[in-house]
Amino acid sequence: MCATLLSVGAFLSYVVLSSFVPGVMNQRLAGQLTVGLALALTQFAVIGVTAWLYLRHMRRNVDPVVRRLRAQLEDHEGEQLRLPAGRRFRAW
Amino acid sequence: MVTVSASVADAFGLRLTFVLFLSVVVVTLFTALLTAPQRDEISEFYLGNRDMSPLRNGLAMCGDYLSAATLLGSTGLVALTGYDGLLYLCGTVVAWMVVLLLIAEPLRNSGRFTLGDTLARRLPARQRSVRLALAICTLTVCALYLVAQLVGSIALLTQFVGEPGPTTRTMTVIIIGSIVTIYAAIGGMPGATFIQVVKAVMLVAGVTVVAVMVLNRFDWNLDDLLASATAGSGLGDAYLEPGLRYGAGPISKLDFLSLQLAIVLGLAALPHVMMRLLAPRRTRVLRASVVWAVGLVGFVCLMAAVLGLGATAVVGRENIADIDHKGDAAVLLLAGELGGEVLTAIVSALAFVTLLAVAAGLTLAAASSLAHDLYGEVIRKGRAKETEELGVARIAALFMGVLGMLFALLAWGTNTATLAFLAFAIAASAILPTIVYSLFWRGFTARGALLSLYGGLLASVLLVLFSPVVSSTPNSLYPEADFAWFPLQNPGIVSIPAGFLLGWLGSLLGPPQEATVYEDFEVRALIGADQR
Repeated sequence: MCATLLSVGAFLSYVVLSSFVPGVMNQRLAGQLTVGLALALTQFAVIGVTAWLYLRHMRRNVDPVVRRLRAQLEDHEGEQLRLPAGRRFRAW
Repeated sequence: MVTVSASVADAFGLRLTFVLFLSVVVVTLFTALLTAPQRDEISEFYLGNRDMSPLRNGLAMCGDYLSAATLLGSTGLVALTGYDGLLYLCGTVVAWMVVLLLIAEPLRNSGRFTLGDTLARRLPARQRSVRLALAICTLTVCALYLVAQLVGSIALLTQFVGEPGPTTRTMTVIIIGSIVTIYAAIGGMPGATFIQVVKAVMLVAGVTVVAVMVLNRFDWNLDDLLASATAGSGLGDAYLEPGLRYGAGPISKLDFLSLQLAIVLGLAALPHVMMRLLAPRRTRVLRASVVWAVGLVGFVCLMAAVLGLGATAVVGRENIADIDHKGDAAVLLLAGELGGEVLTAIVSALAFVTLLAVAAGLTLAAASSLAHDLYGEVIRKGRAKETEELGVARIAALFMGVLGMLFALLAWGTNTATLAFLAFAIAASAILPTIVYSLFWRGFTARGALLSLYGGLLASVLLVLFSPVVSSTPNSLYPEADFAWFPLQNPGIVSIPAGFLLGWLGSLLGPPQEATVYEDFEVRALIGADQR
């Protein structure tokens, strides 16, 4: 969620900046490269970084939880299946 | 674009293009027939091979997303307007981040064949009316985008033979439309996937080759390329500064922002892209596929930027604008300059195949929505047999194809970009709020869904109807009339917030949903049970 806001927000603010503050965006950095063009390239870097952060977050924090939940669910279903119908509620 | 001499290719180039295009079509059609669903299973027709590798999935997603508009239109925009065109290209890549980070995994985990299945699980109380509303929005988006592709085929033909006569026009639309319909109706998703993968590989290879030739010409010196492009544009430093296309005043700047919003948010809700997200069987494969797609789209867009700048540097802005004032001929002219007729023919065959593949994906998405949501669940109330639904899906594909052809013939003069941008705006303001709310907001209810679907659709269509697109400027559909009180050409900046707001309001006003439904849904969206 935060990552989405970061990458989309970065892009949209870049669009707003280029439209309304052209003075800053037109400053030359080196040769023909202006600040605006450099920021355009930075967008690609931001995309790459957010994608990597997202993958790392999912692998570290979400996937283990999912695996555990799924295993629990399967255990639960499996137990119910293994027991024959008549013996499921053996109270004593 | 009036006389034949102004076109970019001569008879030899045209023949070569035709032969190349036909051979790709023949090969892919045969494969579509061979891989067509044999056992009358709807899951195979809707989703195709669910065990493809991430790379192939990613290629198919990239193929579904990148249309001829990207290959010809965006490069033309870069060639003519420099900086603003580059900004536009950036937007098409950023759009994929919304898919990857927000939509892809929960949607696949909770869905089955269409987006309607996800919504039905989330809002079971009034699922039929929600499905109906969603099907209407999906069909509108698909029809608009499909017509844009078919009209694009006429525009592309114009590059070769000059302004085509009515017979040529009709023939082109009917031939392309029939091929598309055959792919979708007979091949189903497996056939569409094959042509997407073929097209994506061709597209990536094609733009790489031409871009390498451009860079080679400038000795791999990007600064040199930028300098030559500035010189070739005849505009001086203004070429690499913002505002060439959308700099006339605050209204046109807002218009640009509105367009970017619709593109960035609309992609995630385009029906044919969403259909691809549902296909992979495992979450891990889906994640890797979307990452591949982001990478491939980013790469193609970077190459497209090089192509656009190269076209201006090598051919010159004046010459490009002379052939076509929208700049669609930029890549073709560049290819002709760098590699002669053969390269021009290859690039234009590529453009035709691109167009065909996107149209096939759209037809299929519309057909699955018609057959599964409208026929299977609304009309037959979930009692339809699999074979029956499959038959309806094939007929629906045929119907969509014919409908698209008719509209394309009626509206052949319209600007393809306008149609496509309207489709993006509807997707972003009607379909996206519903997806985002149902995935992430506990309080979302069926009434909210209905309000935001219909409201978003109406808001974007009405705003375009009362915008300069339809009346009051020389380029509009009805130049004489003047009922354009909405100043922007792209409705996104108003209609997207409107869609979200309506969904929120409707949910607050209506009766609340049972709490357990959302909890079940949340668990499923996380772990995706029984998707093995």
